[in-house]
Amino acid sequence: MTAQDELTGAALSIRAVSKTFVTKPVLRSIDLVVPAGEAVCLCGINGAGKSTLLRVIAGLLRPDSGSITIQGYELRREPEKSRRQLGMISHASMAYPELTVSENLAFAARLYDVPRRAERIEELLTSTGLTSYRHDRAGILSRGLLQRLAIARALLHRPAVLLADEPFTGLDAGATEDVRVIFDRFVRDGGTILMTTHDLRLGLQCCRRAAVLDRGVLILDARTEKIDAQRFLDDYLSYARSMS
Amino acid sequence: MWLGLRAILIKDIVVELRARQVLPTMVVLGMLIVFILRMASESASAGAGAPVMGAAALWIAFLFSGLLAQERSFAAEQQNGCMDGLLLAPLDTGTIYLAKLLANIILLTIFEAVVVPLVLMAFHLRVVGWGRLAAVLLLGNLGISSVGTLFSAAVQLTRTRGALLSIVVLVLLMPMMIPASFALLVLFGALPERVIGSGSFAFVGSFQAAVAYMLAFDAIFTVASWLLFGVVVEE
Amino acid sequence: MRQLLFALAFLFLIASTWIGLTRGQIDPLQRNILYVHVPNSVCALVCFVVVLVTSIGYLATAGQTWDLVATAAAEAGFVFATILNATGMIFSRAEWNVWWTPSPRLVTSAILWFLYAVYLILRVSLPGGQRRPARICAVFGIIAFLDVPLVYISARFIPDIHRPNFSFDSAWQTGALMLGMAGTVLLAAGLIWLRTSLLRDSLKLEQELLP
Repeated sequence: MTAQDELTGAALSIRAVSKTFVTKPVLRSIDLVVPAGEAVCLCGINGAGKSTLLRVIAGLLRPDSGSITIQGYELRREPEKSRRQLGMISHASMAYPELTVSENLAFAARLYDVPRRAERIEELLTSTGLTSYRHDRAGILSRGLLQRLAIARALLHRPAVLLADEPFTGLDAGATEDVRVIFDRFVRDGGTILMTTHDLRLGLQCCRRAAVLDRGVLILDARTEKIDAQRFLDDYLSYARSMS
Repeated sequence: MWLGLRAILIKDIVVELRARQVLPTMVVLGMLIVFILRMASESASAGAGAPVMGAAALWIAFLFSGLLAQERSFAAEQQNGCMDGLLLAPLDTGTIYLAKLLANIILLTIFEAVVVPLVLMAFHLRVVGWGRLAAVLLLGNLGISSVGTLFSAAVQLTRTRGALLSIVVLVLLMPMMIPASFALLVLFGALPERVIGSGSFAFVGSFQAAVAYMLAFDAIFTVASWLLFGVVVEE
Repeated sequence: MRQLLFALAFLFLIASTWIGLTRGQIDPLQRNILYVHVPNSVCALVCFVVVLVTSIGYLATAGQTWDLVATAAAEAGFVFATILNATGMIFSRAEWNVWWTPSPRLVTSAILWFLYAVYLILRVSLPGGQRRPARICAVFGIIAFLDVPLVYISARFIPDIHRPNFSFDSAWQTGALMLGMAGTVLLAAGLIWLRTSLLRDSLKLEQELLP
């Protein structure tokens, strides 16, 4: 852990991260520090670089420069330790259709070498409300259930940081509420969330902090209580329209 | 590391057995190839020509069905972003490679168990040494699986996926075919007495040399593929 | 500078042809194809070594130039391999009355051609912008190079009909061959250079047209 991280107790620390695809700079020297127990909503229009940033933090994409530190472990230098602290939810569920819900979780548990596997899987099945579906093959689950499975999978190994790329997309009101509850509980227990979402209202409700990414640069980073939600939404909408 | 490796290996086998797609296709393709080659070479397959045709049929069926197995190793990971799931885990990419490699070897072995007896029957072949036959088949298995697993990950998002994988694997595997066929011919009891002219199957050399070659080939390509796998899966 | 390369190359090649066919003519007639066959064979292999080195370089440094040179070398090598196999087959037919036979040299030449062909097809077929195809082709370049000595050794399981060592009777013949060798190598260098800069220019154009 760097001295600074220890001081701030940062769960997630992104410094000067840049990424260029061929000649197009997608991320330009992004700095972001997220302390433990905080939920950050990353906003931006399509193509602003949100998904790219999340994938870079997850270690799926290599940045051209900069460093990512998770719970004090630098991603590049200690990939195993840092990846253990990370859980990720993306558009895809990462579930094998031919395996049942509990088999998918058991597989993930083995990948992450989760101690006391069976117990932990039970815990997660309960907290995501999937207990009655445990023997159903992932291939037949609805989108809402799949999303819950993805969350269970992501939280199985007790990560410190959860990355969520558009977690509410394609969910109905009930499912959305379920996911919100799980996220709230995660944050209350000391977890850190970095999420991207198109539903700004939801994002502002969920998260204590909001950041806006515009053409690869972070242009806003503030606590949500300080943001006038309606004005923010109006400004954002007109900005988004002007960009399209 | 071993836990992760076992987990991926078992997962692959279970998924494959439940999907029931690749293995049956492999077996049927293999059988069809043997059948067609037998019919296409009717006159040549009588008497002395049989071991030659039989060895060729066996390796050809092996290669083409083997390619199906290789392709599936990463095709299954394409859906639902499962590949990301593997890459996010605190696992070395080399471990993923080894797990997939073993899964492919097992699938091919199951294939062998079914199709090889059919080849022996179709071409009226007798086997001089069963243990040695199993060993030679295993070496061939490892050969095709080593490069197949590596490049299967590489060709996933292309349009001509299967064909592209085929040309890559076949061109790399070509050298192994000569000693491999030689070994099989020895095992079918068809040691040529004389070297005649420039026929492809007029061999010079010994069984040990052929096996040593295959061993070296497998060692080199497995290690090289294992080391380079991380480069190929990187986004 | 590049023009100089090409000029020298053509000079040497013409000199080689002239000397070879007048003062240094080999008997029987078909063996004169060696003046073309041998230099092309050397160049095909040299280009492969270039592909190997640039592939390793690209994987180590991710510098785009390495990748461009690799592509150029693969294309040039493909041309040389084609000429190699074609002249080889013509010679083989004239000398031994068969178009092709599985001797180690011939098998290696054929595989070389296939390896180049697969490399080029991979390059064209792989999606993903610039970096991913480059990386995968680099991996293939390295593995393919490992394949070549294996091919040569494996073909030793077959009796060799290829007579590799022609002794040259006169200095004229040796001279012609050396000139041909030098000329072809210079030609290879020039072609790779030219192709690399063409690739670089087309890449720049593409990038400028991107939004």
